[in-house]
This record gives sequence, structure tokens and C-alpha cells, in this order.
Amino acid sequence: MVVGMKDALKLIGISIIACCAVFVCTLFLNYNIDITAMKNEITAAGGVEMYNAIVSTGKVVAAVSGGCLAVTSVIMLMFYVKNYIDTHGKELGILKALGYSDFKIAKHFWVFGLSVFVGCALGYAAAFLYLPSFYELQNAEHLFPEIKVQFHPFLAFLLVVVPAISFAALAVIYACFRLKTPVLDLLKEKREYKAKLSKKETKDMPFLKELTRSTVRGIKSLVFFIAFSAFCFSDMVQMSMSMKDLSSETMAIMIMMIGLILAFMTLFLSLSSVVKANTKTIAMMRVFGYQHSDCSKAVLGGYRPVSYIGFAVGTAYQYFLLRIMVDIVFADVENVPEYNFDFTACAISLVLFIITYELFMYIYSQRIKKLSIKSVMLE
Amino acid sequence: MIAISEITKSYGNGDGKTQVLKGITMQINEGDFVVVLGASGSGKSTFLNVISGLERPDSGSVTYGSLEITKLSDSKLTRFRKDNIGFIFQQYYLLQNMTVEKNVRMGAELADNGDYREIITAVGLEDKSKKYPSELSGGEQQRVSVARALAKKPKVLFLDEPTGALDEETGRQVLDYICKLHKEYGFTIVMVTHNQNIAEMANTVVKMNSGKISEISVNKVRKTAYEIGW
Repeated sequence: MVVGMKDALKLIGISIIACCAVFVCTLFLNYNIDITAMKNEITAAGGVEMYNAIVSTGKVVAAVSGGCLAVTSVIMLMFYVKNYIDTHGKELGILKALGYSDFKIAKHFWVFGLSVFVGCALGYAAAFLYLPSFYELQNAEHLFPEIKVQFHPFLAFLLVVVPAISFAALAVIYACFRLKTPVLDLLKEKREYKAKLSKKETKDMPFLKELTRSTVRGIKSLVFFIAFSAFCFSDMVQMSMSMKDLSSETMAIMIMMIGLILAFMTLFLSLSSVVKANTKTIAMMRVFGYQHSDCSKAVLGGYRPVSYIGFAVGTAYQYFLLRIMVDIVFADVENVPEYNFDFTACAISLVLFIITYELFMYIYSQRIKKLSIKSVMLE
Repeated sequence: MIAISEITKSYGNGDGKTQVLKGITMQINEGDFVVVLGASGSGKSTFLNVISGLERPDSGSVTYGSLEITKLSDSKLTRFRKDNIGFIFQQYYLLQNMTVEKNVRMGAELADNGDYREIITAVGLEDKSKKYPSELSGGEQQRVSVARALAKKPKVLFLDEPTGALDEETGRQVLDYICKLHKEYGFTIVMVTHNQNIAEMANTVVKMNSGKISEISVNKVRKTAYEIGW
């Protein structure tokens, strides 16, 4: 077998993202289905307005969170498939040389869909366990009759089975596409690099600066993931702090936990991939006499601006999302607290983000320091 | 002068422990061209790694002039390599996402060498300086690695099977470039190879067997890269 269960286990990042996405979507969509069935029974004053607001909120949250996390999972899956083919070029090249068709090899990549299945199933199960508390929170003001948690097989199918099948199919199709590389290029693990800098830049730019640029440009998906981790941190942490008047404390804690798990996992996986992809470069720099601080700066330093851009985008995103919720979704609901940009929450999360990010950088810089030159060269 | 005294080196633990270097002592003079010959597993690459400061011996010392590098911290050892040592490997180890010029600049910037383009010209690659390693032949890639090593103006150049991955014609060409540059810049060369013919190009030939030096000889007449057999 070309790709095994062990390889699927490495896609823990996708499992976690899938778990978070399905958890959020199950909470809101299951509630929406159950409350919609009781629409005619809502008679309390302000109940209909609240019903409309809650149903709209559920749709917006499920669409935005689910959509955003689904896109991230797709990009992460494609990154893993490409990375697998790049790092196993020799084995795959030999199979192709022996006469195996691209599809015959690619079909084994379906196992990558298992990571999505595991994540989705866990997310769904966790959400189902939490649903009774969630229903109580949503109806804290008792504007609706008591709603019992119902199991909706179609929703389970849609949130667990469909993503798993879709991701398995996507992995096979994308692997088939990547395997169209000529056999000799796979065997030589040959990758094309194209000059993208202007003549002036390539001539005058110092080596370390150029290395930083080419490291960042080399694997663009890692730029996305690092920006995404900062985005998750900024968005979810600020949102959970800013919405204290708009929602319950439990909801705020839940949002913060999801944000932190996503941010840390994505950053951890991205930085591990950055160091792994550059081990030979680092080893050669050390052989030639570059200090470990130069190596760390050149390999990791280029991602710092990217992460701060991610943080800024996350800040803007959470502000506009809450703004939309208050101004549009809850427009007809009475006594909705006024919402303004929370500068304190922004400042606190920025400080926390800087500390966390720099701590990660320090840990990975130490990992670079501990790389054994000889073991890298013996590979 | 490089003074190597009683160096030993082992790998593994317990029953699986293998002693690769068994108390090697010798001296290498400044400007010398030393070839270390030996069969696979004789310990010649480990010997090169230890005397160049890439690996630490279990015991013994390696002294450059009055500086004993075996006592240096990792950071000081890195600085020592920066100021003194150049490396050329069988597998080239070029940075694949950098052009020829940038690969050479990697070495040049360590020595603040602004004239690195002269070395690119000296190895005959001036018209390929904007190419990436994947666009070059094996011989051309090894010439880039020669230029990269020399651009940092090393006092000692270590070569580990530099022609091991090259065909005869390209191998001779690369050796010829190295010899010409050796004459021009006067650095010390320590080359590890299993090709006995290459030994005829050196001043000093060190033969290794099972982790020990079995013979040290001096060539009275040195041959060029095009005069030796292959």
C-alpha cells in the first residue's frame, strides 16, 4: 500500500479543524431545526423577533465558521497530499516506472478522508453531548417553549459522512493530478524554481534576506496556515472577550477554546513543516559557519509579518461579524446591548499573541539549534 | 599546520558499538594537498568530519596552529568553520531554491567577499549564474559547490568524494578547477576518496584501513587531472 493509516494519522490538524467546524455547525443547525419545528408555538412577547434572530444567527455562524474551516481543511489536505508526493517521489516514481497508472496509485490516498471522518464524528458527538446545555443557554430568557434535543439523521449524514467522502475523493483527485509529474522528475525529486525577483533585487539582496524571502515564497500554503493561526487567535479571543454583554459566558469560553486549539495546532503544524522543509538548508548553513541565530532568523523570521497581518485581519473580521449580528440579525430584538470596538480586548489579545508567537519561535529556534548536521547529511 | 593527536571515535552503544577511528595521529602542513584513501567503511569520512570540526572525537585533539578546536564550544566551533573552513561534498548540497549566484553568495557573505563573481567565472559558470541547480548538470552543480566553498576564502578546503557522483570527463574537469584554484589561492586541501588514481595529484597520500592510518607517502611528482588514470 502506497499510503497507510500511519500517514492518515499525521493529518491530525485536519481532524482538529473538522472537529471544531462540525461541533459549531451541529450546535447551531440542530438547534435551528428543532426550534423551527416549534415556530407556531412561540407566543411570548418578543419571542418571534428573538426566534428570527436566533435562526439567522445559526445560519450565519454555521455558514461563516463552517465555510471558513472547510476551506482551511481543503487547503491543508492539498498541502499534505503535495507534501507526501514531494517527499515520497522516489517510491512513487518507481511504481510509475513499473507501470502503475496515476489513478491506481492515487486511489490509495482515500485514507486521508479518514482523518476528516474521525474529526467530524468526534465534533458531532461532542456537540450532541453539549446540546442540552446549549439549548438552555439559547432559551435563557424563556421566550420559547421547552425544546428537547432531537437526533436528525440527515444532519449527521451531512456533517459526518458527506465531508469524509468529499475529502477522500478530493485527496484521490488531487493526488492523481500531482502524480502527472514525469517519472524521472519524481525519481530525482526534482522541483522547479522560477526566478520572480527583478534583476536589481537578485543582484543586490544579501544572501540571508534572499533566503528569508525564498523560504516564505517556497511553500505558499504555509504562509496561509501561519496567517490563519494568527487569524483564529485574534478573531476568537477578541470575539469571546467582546461579546460578554451579547452572549453567555459559556459561549464566550467555548469560542475562546476553539480559537486557541485551532491557532496552536495550526501554528505547531506549520512551524514543524517549515523546519522540516528547510533542514538541509539549515545543516549546510551550519556547516559553512552561519550561527544558529542566523539560521533561525532566515528560516522562521519571514513569517512574522505574515502572522501580524493575520492578527489584523482577524481583528477586523470579528468586529464586522459582531457588528452585522447586532445591526442586522438582532435589529428587531429589543434591549440588545450597544456594541462598539473593544480596544481593551484588542490590546490584551495582541499582547497575549505576541508572547505566544514569540514563545513558539523560541521553541522552534531551539529545535533548529539541536539539528544534527551529520544526520541531516546522511539522509 | 593541523596537528591531529590520538583521535578516537565510536558509534553505537553496548554490543553494537563500533570504533570507527582508532587513535589517529598525523600532521598536515599549510598549503599541502592531502588525499585520504581508503575502502568503504575504513573511517575516512569520519576522519574528515572530525578534523574539520563537524564532529567531535571521543578522545584526542585536533589543533589548528595554536587553537585546539576539540575544546571549543558549538558556537565557537561554528565561528571557527566560518573563518577557516570550506567544504565540498559528493552530493553537492546546493540550495535548490537559490540561483547559482545566490548559492555562491552564501559562502561569500561569510567572508565579506564582494568579488565572488570572479570565482563563478573561474569555475566557468559565468553564463549560468542565474540558473537554478535543477537546471544544471552534475558537473556544473559540483563546480557551483566548489565556487561556494572558495568564495568564503577558506584556509583549509575539505572535500568528501567530490567526484563520486560524476562521470570521468566531468570528474577530471572538476579536479582540474580545484587544482588550478589551489595553486592560485594557496589554501590547504584535504580530500577523501576511494579512487586511487586521484592520489597521484596530491603532495601527501594517507591510506586508511579499519580506522587506522596504514601508510603515509609523499609524491615527488604530481600529476594533473588529465594525466591520471580513472
